[in-house]
Amino acid sequence: MILGLATLIVGTIVGYLGQRSRFCTISGIRDFYLIKDPYRLKGIIGIFVGAVAGFALVNFFNGNLLNFTNVGGWQAMPMLSEGLNVQPLVLIPLASIGAFGMAYFSVMAEGCPFRQHVIAGEGRISGLLYIVGLVVGVIFYSIVIVPYLQLLTILG
Amino acid sequence: MTEPEAKPKKRFHFKLSGNMALITGLTMGVLAAVVQGFFELQPPAAAGICGISHPANLINWLVNNNPVEFLRPDPPFTIHNIFTNVPVLTSVGFVLGSFIAAIINKEFKFRPGPVRDNILAFILGFIIINFALLWGSCPIRTTILAAYGMPFAMLILGCIVLGVVAACEYVKWKVRRVK
Repeated sequence: MILGLATLIVGTIVGYLGQRSRFCTISGIRDFYLIKDPYRLKGIIGIFVGAVAGFALVNFFNGNLLNFTNVGGWQAMPMLSEGLNVQPLVLIPLASIGAFGMAYFSVMAEGCPFRQHVIAGEGRISGLLYIVGLVVGVIFYSIVIVPYLQLLTILG
Repeated sequence: MTEPEAKPKKRFHFKLSGNMALITGLTMGVLAAVVQGFFELQPPAAAGICGISHPANLINWLVNNNPVEFLRPDPPFTIHNIFTNVPVLTSVGFVLGSFIAAIINKEFKFRPGPVRDNILAFILGFIIINFALLWGSCPIRTTILAAYGMPFAMLILGCIVLGVVAACEYVKWKVRRVK
């Protein structure tokens, strides 16, 4: 229960700051590429620096964070599928296509998934409908696409 | 999008309003590490803050534990081991925090969003979650993974930049053709 409460508190703090700062990762790259505006790109650099600092800080205070020096292959993948014990080499093209598609369509939706949650909280209609599409999409993925992913085990 | 500002004449000029995104990013990075290290939110590494896998985990948890017996899927939908007993509420927190901020600053108002066509917004949400779940994390978590030293995540970060550039070029091409 403590874990759920902790995630809720972290989410609320980050959501508050995200609304005040118009933070967005996809728009950060887009703004910098199109009009050379570095304001939102600084946010991505901030995540990187903050994560490095937080990693060092937590491990200094006897926390135990995983890093990737020893863990290889499946354990390191953030993918949400069970029993998919295949080589990372098979997953690299799949994940690359996934990331490319996510970035491409996120530009069309004008915001990364985090930004869409924030604008839904602001009362934007399209953000709210995006969230509805996301809910339907997760259920579609779990029912339709996950069984097809199991076919990858044939490749090794 | 952003108003052009007059360039400051001083040598060093750190304005809070010009660096809010930087501060948000720093807070995200530190909080993600703190919530992971001190609340035992692993093995899914670097899962402190995510805009894709946390909503997916929450929705799958709700479907698996719904009160109607025959609507529960068999076998149950996949959830990261750490979240099987406890729902992950980060995405609810995003919406709640933004709502609180909008109420406090008197900006809350139902109005049409950045995507003009409402049906298109729904379809984009559907498509993006299906693409993103193939990789399994949103750009924020990808950056955190890259910062923790996962070479594969750096490659994916490159793919995200490539996707944004491709979409920008498509938009430019479309605008030019209309003219």
